[in-house]
Amino acid sequence: MRLNPTLLLQPTARARKATKTVVLTVTIYTLAILYFSPILYMLLSGFKTEYQAVSPSFVFTPTLETYQSVLSDASLYTYLGNSIFQVLASSVLCLLLGLPAAFALAFGNFRKKGTRDKIYMWFLTTILLPPVAVLIPLYTWFHAWQLNTTPLGLLMAYVGFHVPIVVWMLYSFFADIPTEIMEASEIDGCTRFQQMMHIAVPLVRTGIISACLLVAVFIWNEFFLGFNLTGNDTATLPVYMSRFREQQGMFIAQLSASSTIAILPAIVLGWITQKSLVKGLTLGAVKG
Amino acid sequence: MNRSETSKKKNDWLFILPAIFVVAVMTQIPFLLTVVYSTLRWNLARPDIPIVFSGIDNYLFFLKISDFTAVPEFYSIVLQTITVTVVALMICTVIGFLFSILLDHPIPGVNIARTLIMGPFFVMSTVTGVIWKTTILNTTFGWYGVLAKAVGLAPVDLLSYYPLPVIIFLFCWQWIPFFVLIMLAGLQGISGELVDSMRIDGLKWWQSTFWVKLPLIMNHIRVAVMLGLVFIVKEFGLILVTTAGGPGTRSYTLPYQVYMQIFSASNVGRAGALATMTVVLTLIAVNFVSKSMKKNNL
Repeated sequence: MRLNPTLLLQPTARARKATKTVVLTVTIYTLAILYFSPILYMLLSGFKTEYQAVSPSFVFTPTLETYQSVLSDASLYTYLGNSIFQVLASSVLCLLLGLPAAFALAFGNFRKKGTRDKIYMWFLTTILLPPVAVLIPLYTWFHAWQLNTTPLGLLMAYVGFHVPIVVWMLYSFFADIPTEIMEASEIDGCTRFQQMMHIAVPLVRTGIISACLLVAVFIWNEFFLGFNLTGNDTATLPVYMSRFREQQGMFIAQLSASSTIAILPAIVLGWITQKSLVKGLTLGAVKG
Repeated sequence: MNRSETSKKKNDWLFILPAIFVVAVMTQIPFLLTVVYSTLRWNLARPDIPIVFSGIDNYLFFLKISDFTAVPEFYSIVLQTITVTVVALMICTVIGFLFSILLDHPIPGVNIARTLIMGPFFVMSTVTGVIWKTTILNTTFGWYGVLAKAVGLAPVDLLSYYPLPVIIFLFCWQWIPFFVLIMLAGLQGISGELVDSMRIDGLKWWQSTFWVKLPLIMNHIRVAVMLGLVFIVKEFGLILVTTAGGPGTRSYTLPYQVYMQIFSASNVGRAGALATMTVVLTLIAVNFVSKSMKKNNL
């Protein structure tokens, strides 16, 4: 057991250290609460009536009226359903496409020496591409082929844009697996597919989860493509929320309740997976 | 080469090709088309005008300065985009670093504090925009208005008078957690022995923080800045929902102007030129940041 160096200090030094800890704790908590307060206020205001919500205050008698009226709005469910569909379907598809690609990039044998790096770089540069660069052709295609009336159109765009992120993150997780394991399995007669499914995937399970979750959060929050490439039937939750920007009259309580519904899944998902998210981001990012 | 090795090679390409195909079709090919469109004279609202090749006319429309007293709007918008990007990135990096230093202490319940600070990153940009605009920045019904009046000051409609600073502020509020996330991970990767030996050597906290820890997490900072750069240039929802680019075009950024060229002016050719220039500028910026940070990285 490691000796706590604080116990070796003189009493005055110990008191000084204790004050320092108290000051630090108070500062950190104040900062954190202040930083989070707009969201906190929004969470609380969902439980007010419109009349109560008009003047900013933390003191009120909570009611479920506003949630009742927000949840009885049929259009909310359309947008909510579309968002859920997009997130689930694109996460699955991104994984189905990105996992084998990352695996092959990490362990494949390519005839030319630089091919692996070229392909990996190609995926990386796609992450840097701003969606404005593709909006015009996508918009004209979607209109010509009615793709904005089906969620499949937006789905394809989301998958195209987010597969590189999955490849990027999973590649560095795979690169961490020692090549001896793969070589041993080759000697044992494994096919590539068996190698991937039975050896590599179990080893990088955290990486896969964090890549999926990052992509899920990004797609849940995505606005630019969701706004411009969809119609009323296929639009997603961020688009629904943007409709609050021009309000006749202030519906702060309704706005707060709807916002809570919109952000809760992403925040909860993000909180639960903080640790693996960080590992995935930094491993994938810092290594290369 | 024996049979199993050749089939393995074929498998390798089979594993990769579907991903390459989908990504190429949804991102690279449309981008090439955008560049092609930028050389056309094509207005969706004027079907009577035939679509013809017009070379770099669309680019000149934005870039040409025929009279220096009336510099085209394009340059103000580029300047606005650069201002928002550079200032936001600087604030995110500096404040993100300070926050991550704070959060690196093992005080009781520090995870709760980290969780609270992490929250804004997961909020969608349109919600951030409408919540801040309606419940906080509003001069009558928002906290800003109420608190300003309580102190005796007349609340100023910040969104109308200072649109760019507000947008920068909101973007930072959303993205500082991301920077903190990455930098904190870097800080926690610093070995406990190094921290102990710094204390034994008698370094003051600012020396150990800025002269030792900061250089050690340069890789993490570089990644955070590059990703932040890419995401802030893309930012659209926040602007649409808070200022709609206004007043006038004072808070336009390049992506916002592309959007307006398509959906307001219906001019595909000009939108294409703008989009291409945006991509080129983004790539130049990313390259510049990457190289200059690598150079200073000792």
